[in-house]
Amino acid sequence: MKKYSMMSKSLASLVLALFTMMSVQVPAMADIVSTEQLAFEQQTQIKRDAVKSFFSRDDVAAQLVERGVDASDAQMRVDSLSGSELNALYEQIDTLPAGEGLGIVIGILVIFILLDVAGVTDIFPGV
Amino acid sequence: MTALLLVMTGCVGAPQSALLLAHFNEHSNADLIEHHREQAAPVLSPRVNLDNVLFFPQEEYQCGPAALATVLNASLVVVSPDDLVSQVYVPERQGSLQIEMLAAPRRYGRISYQLPPSLDAVLREVQAGRPVLVMQNLALTRFPQWHYAVVVGYDLAQQDIILRSGTIRDYRVSLRVFERTWSRAQHWAVVILQPGELPLQASEDGYFQAVSAYENAGASSQAGAAYRAGLERWPDSQLLGMGYGNLAYRDGDRELAITAYSKVLEHHQDYAAAHNNLAQVMFETGDLQGAEAHARNAVRLGGSFAEIYQRTLDRVLAANAAR
Repeated sequence: MKKYSMMSKSLASLVLALFTMMSVQVPAMADIVSTEQLAFEQQTQIKRDAVKSFFSRDDVAAQLVERGVDASDAQMRVDSLSGSELNALYEQIDTLPAGEGLGIVIGILVIFILLDVAGVTDIFPGV
Repeated sequence: MTALLLVMTGCVGAPQSALLLAHFNEHSNADLIEHHREQAAPVLSPRVNLDNVLFFPQEEYQCGPAALATVLNASLVVVSPDDLVSQVYVPERQGSLQIEMLAAPRRYGRISYQLPPSLDAVLREVQAGRPVLVMQNLALTRFPQWHYAVVVGYDLAQQDIILRSGTIRDYRVSLRVFERTWSRAQHWAVVILQPGELPLQASEDGYFQAVSAYENAGASSQAGAAYRAGLERWPDSQLLGMGYGNLAYRDGDRELAITAYSKVLEHHQDYAAAHNNLAQVMFETGDLQGAEAHARNAVRLGGSFAEIYQRTLDRVLAANAAR
């Protein structure tokens, strides 16, 4: 997997590095601690994640394009993501649940009908 | 056979539904109504149906765009599922990811807020007139069938919940069945807010995250209203106060920024980031003495952004020396 690993000692340098790598527009805000930085720090603390790597908007956009998203759409889409969302999407794009609606695996159809009747699953609205 | 399947799937019950319905039955007893009025949380209305919430029957694999269009339109954003396909759908996954479902409303000037994993919280939002976007796993943990739907109503007497789901406009399903499918998607539930609106059950941290992501996505002209609403509910929130101050600073309103940072320091006098940002704004307004005092505090307190604090102090000291 393509990863830009940065083993840093403290969250401080990590957060600062993130904002360099994310090419976030911060020049005007360079002198104050930005809201995005505070949000990222808080999110990292909440999840108690050891953040080991960061992914730029371009990295994430490229992943979306690889999975069939139009390039200009991908750019627009990643622009709306926060720092922690970018990380989560990059690392889990193939494993996060993708809500798709109502296809069905035929082989286990019968089991599911029974489970639907039992009220465990809810695949067949009519049952 | 059914029992065997239940065991096989490790199926648990529907604890939240059970509790909610038990509560409902208890309080439909007239003797108890008076007692309940004195309690803090008002009783849920027995039934709600937001019948005027639009319905967009989904095309194949596209329940994400359809469900998203449903909640956005209910929040007065005119948008069709087709407009949203290019914004949330991932062709190779044949579906839409939750992270992108949260991000898309920001491009329409809306804040998406993920509710706590509580059925009660979901129903209360619906009662307040806000349909709730939910993810369900309609099948099993091992054979997932991920699905987005929108909760538009419920009926406690019938023990039903009402969804806009798939190709069915008013899909009434047992509250317990819904809870099971919903819990297999980690109780994921989201409301769409106009800036200034607050969810009924929100956490300070979660709300700050939602607003900062919204502001960061560029649709920030209304972010001030969102911060003010948050600060009304959590007046001593340091992060909401910082966000509000930073927004004012970015908009060139230094006076408001100073007020906001100072307010944060009233409640959290050892908050280094607030000292730093206040120092910078004071520096820009020519109050070098005040700037130096706060910059020194920030450096002394240190923390995640110590490098920034040091730079601020150096700048202020250089200006003081030059004078």
